Amino acid sequence: MLRKEQNELLTQTAPGTPMGRLFRCYWIPALLGDELPENDCPPVRVKLLSERLIAFRDTNGRYGLMDEFCAHRGVSLWFGRNEQCGLRCPYHGWKYDVSGQCLEVPSEPEESGFAKKVKLRSYPLVERGGILWTYMGPPEAQPPLPEWEFIMVGPSHRFTSKRLQESNWLQAMEGGIDSSHVSFLHRGDLDSDPLFKGAKGNQYNLSDPRPVFEVVESPGGLHIGARRNAEEGRYYWRITQWVMPSFTLIPPRGNHSVHGHFWIPIDDENCWTWSFDYHPTRELAAAEVAAMRDGKGIHVRTAPGTFRPVANKDNDYLIDRAAQKAGRTFSGVEGIGMQDASLQESMGPVVDRSKENLVSTDNGIIMARHRLLRAVKAFTDKGALPPGVDLAHQKVRSAAVVLPPDVPFTEGARDALIARLETAPASI
Amino acid sequence: MSSAAEARFRVQAPNSLPRAIKVIALDQAAEAMVRQIASAGWSNTKFFTAGDRSGRGRLADLAGHETELTGEIADADLVVLVAAPGGRAEAAGAIGQACSDRRVMTTGFIVGARGAAEVELSKTLAQIRPWSLMVVISNHDDYISDMMIALRA
Repeated sequence: MLRKEQNELLTQTAPGTPMGRLFRCYWIPALLGDELPENDCPPVRVKLLSERLIAFRDTNGRYGLMDEFCAHRGVSLWFGRNEQCGLRCPYHGWKYDVSGQCLEVPSEPEESGFAKKVKLRSYPLVERGGILWTYMGPPEAQPPLPEWEFIMVGPSHRFTSKRLQESNWLQAMEGGIDSSHVSFLHRGDLDSDPLFKGAKGNQYNLSDPRPVFEVVESPGGLHIGARRNAEEGRYYWRITQWVMPSFTLIPPRGNHSVHGHFWIPIDDENCWTWSFDYHPTRELAAAEVAAMRDGKGIHVRTAPGTFRPVANKDNDYLIDRAAQKAGRTFSGVEGIGMQDASLQESMGPVVDRSKENLVSTDNGIIMARHRLLRAVKAFTDKGALPPGVDLAHQKVRSAAVVLPPDVPFTEGARDALIARLETAPASI
Repeated sequence: MSSAAEARFRVQAPNSLPRAIKVIALDQAAEAMVRQIASAGWSNTKFFTAGDRSGRGRLADLAGHETELTGEIADADLVVLVAAPGGRAEAAGAIGQACSDRRVMTTGFIVGARGAAEVELSKTLAQIRPWSLMVVISNHDDYISDMMIALRA
């Protein structure tokens, strides 16, 4: 349970809100690189943290992310002409560069210098690992560029997708650290999904449906360990990483790729679910990438030309009651990503946490909220840099390991939980 | 049906009854913390210390009055075991067995873990793990209070 004011504090991320200021401490994924595929390509509308923005790539390949609306009379610059190193409003010809600086106001004499007095709010937009990242905080506090392992490996080692989720970011993110739902909601997918099946670890999952959880604070967030019985009295551990505010890394299976998510607020009632797969030491096979594009694993099929899932709330997520009854899927919704999204969206745009009844296995969620609230308070009261900004906090890995029974998993898997490029992940 | 506009039609009636939670300090360091938490005043939670009494099937409340372990467990929805790294957490076994017999949910807390030696943490984990369906290793003393609020204690 969260009190109403705590719920509002964590779920509201518009400019000036405490959580909005916290999110603006981080580089966040804004667009896929493919959305701006070439110089002078069409601009793209993007809403982040309740700010409507326009992204474009100019004649020289520079990326820009700025206020969507022309400073003159408020026209959306999505209609703009991307030409000669600037985005020109088609209404009266005002033109802006990637920094939001107005370059031309055709109706005014050039000598008047009026254009120099007009500047749209803009944010840096930088390509790294196939993603365009932005930082929306004060320029003087801009941290170094992100170094998550999945964006540091080569392009052939990774695949990233994004989809619209019609719910607040927090309930989506909480699903990512709610390890106890996997044994129910996703139980039908371990042995059938091409991106999971065949791993020895799956047998531990299936033979011990009641895992025991351990939650341990990490410098950047949490380690969430799910423990199952293995051979000779040892434990099979699946260790998920959560790094503040909204990054999760799911433990790998066998030699399959490692996957994870970012949840980024669009506004208070919608978020982007970013999903990625990568392997530190091998290229992804064509069949794997094809499966990811087809919505397998944690990815989702989206309607062509959009990021809205094909299965969505307007068609009841294409629920298949016969498949539910026959046990092919537990909820009747196909695909891990949409199984999660359908239930999280069903809670309503912003779930009322004053009515929930958490139980002991929800300690990962409780601890994450606890840490977020602490971080917001420390940042608001003292300007303390929140966890997850430090690059060292980003160099993490999830892991699947077998350990002796009395070993703290953070000790037994110490090396496995640190990202070291070109070393294999700990996986079973 | 999941729009913001539809949210106002949700049933507003209470959807649960209060849960009974028992918080048990297993060692001295944990006892100091449990006393501090208890001082905040909780309507559905009772606080105890275990020490050597659990071997005799007894607990003590924070005023030192002894009580039957099985009686306290019988009406509990959740038992929270609190221990510090390297402390004497042997009581976890007797309490955990009583909870297991009555199918009562248990959560083990290891508090003050920041900077603890691995050997001390391992020792406490070895005592807590077999009897806890959830284990939390926290660096912050105020987490238990937050968890209890979250669980409607």
